Amino acid sequence: MAEISFPLPDLGEGLIEATVLEWLVEPGQQVERNQAIVELETSKSALELPSPQAGKVVRIHGAPGETINVGEPLIVFEVPDDTAGIVGTVPKDEAPKRRVRLSAVLDED
Amino acid sequence: MPETTITEATATTAVGIQQLSMQQALNRALDEILNENPKTVIFGEDCGQLGGVFRITDGLQAKHGEARVFDTPLAESGILGMSVGLAMAGFHPIPEVQFDGFAYPAINQIVCQIARMNYRSRGTLPMPITLRVPSFGGIRAPEHHGESLEALFAHVPGLKVVSPSNPHDAYHLLKYAASRPDPVIFMEPKSRYWQKGPVDVGSADQDTAAHDGGTDDAGSLTGARVAREGRHLTLVAWGAMVSRCLQVAELAAEDGIDIEVLDLRWLKPIDAEALATSVGKTRRAVVVHEAPLTSGLGAEVAQLITQSCFATLKAPVERVTGFDVPYPSGDLEDEYIPNIDRILFGIQRVLEYRRG
Repeated sequence: MAEISFPLPDLGEGLIEATVLEWLVEPGQQVERNQAIVELETSKSALELPSPQAGKVVRIHGAPGETINVGEPLIVFEVPDDTAGIVGTVPKDEAPKRRVRLSAVLDED
Repeated sequence: MPETTITEATATTAVGIQQLSMQQALNRALDEILNENPKTVIFGEDCGQLGGVFRITDGLQAKHGEARVFDTPLAESGILGMSVGLAMAGFHPIPEVQFDGFAYPAINQIVCQIARMNYRSRGTLPMPITLRVPSFGGIRAPEHHGESLEALFAHVPGLKVVSPSNPHDAYHLLKYAASRPDPVIFMEPKSRYWQKGPVDVGSADQDTAAHDGGTDDAGSLTGARVAREGRHLTLVAWGAMVSRCLQVAELAAEDGIDIEVLDLRWLKPIDAEALATSVGKTRRAVVVHEAPLTSGLGAEVAQLITQSCFATLKAPVERVTGFDVPYPSGDLEDEYIPNIDRILFGIQRVLEYRRG
């Protein structure tokens, strides 16, 4: 297992900090990529931050009401060694689905 | 989660049949190549300390040292330019371009230097370079992380192009490619990295025997492989599309259609004899690839089949491919990559065709 720390990203327009309104995930929870993980408030707006990756939440930083600077740790994920660092998502092996059926008269000449 | 980590797979020296993911098979092959050839050096973005974004070089720097496995700046033209210099100095570089779409900044080095140096120097400066490129789509990644460059590389005289579809072939084809005196573009189907399969991990002696014209269980390392035998139609594919075509063949069998799946493996040179043998038998062919349709390798395959099987073909060779658009973002990937229904439609078009 490898730990990956995700710092508070630059939320745009020169904002240097954000205040935690509510955590939408908790340590121990498995999250998917793009799942909303935290609600933040900046001096411009309130927003939900999507998860940058899939993984198990190990730690979260900042209780509701606390302010975090851009670049400081926000959340730490735990991921299997063979997926750590991957860009994208490990595809799932799913049972093949079909809608098209074949029909043919095969002359065996 | 695999039962063994990639590093543990590297640590083992057991030979014989083992269940490995393609990640593990490639990692094991690289470890053995480093052991067997002191001239081998491995490098690329994140290849050293991190072990690669896909963990293919995991543990290799710790084991073989920073002089042989190392990180480079984020500069693909530099990675490939350095490969040229190292090859001229007698090394056998195995550089990695982290993702298919990152090869574009290095095209000048690949096309104008790596592919031609042996020719230009009248054989005095061979380029024994194996360029590993995690390729094709299927992992919901952003732009430049899902592209299929095989036709681009195959068009360049002096380059060989190969793409394994399963862990066994990945292990053996990588060892084979690294043993060649010519540059080989090694396209790894990144969406198949995690699936496990049996790998016949051989000793160095066995691999040398295979290199010298012998064959392994999967057939000659230099040619195509019949992944499934059938008699009504041949599906031609490579990389990640092979497993999808095998699924399609199973579904077609429910409808009474017996499909052969030919895994091309080598995209330059293409095994024209294997195409002739397979389609000579089935008389119908559909070629499947992720790359866009126009000037894709499917056109080359169709022509090779037509050349050898024109008199007996039941229908024109059909192509089921990506579209003539830039590779889309991850959310639209399933619409772009040939899916099961699109391949079945292609098969149906061939089955329905009547002359005159």
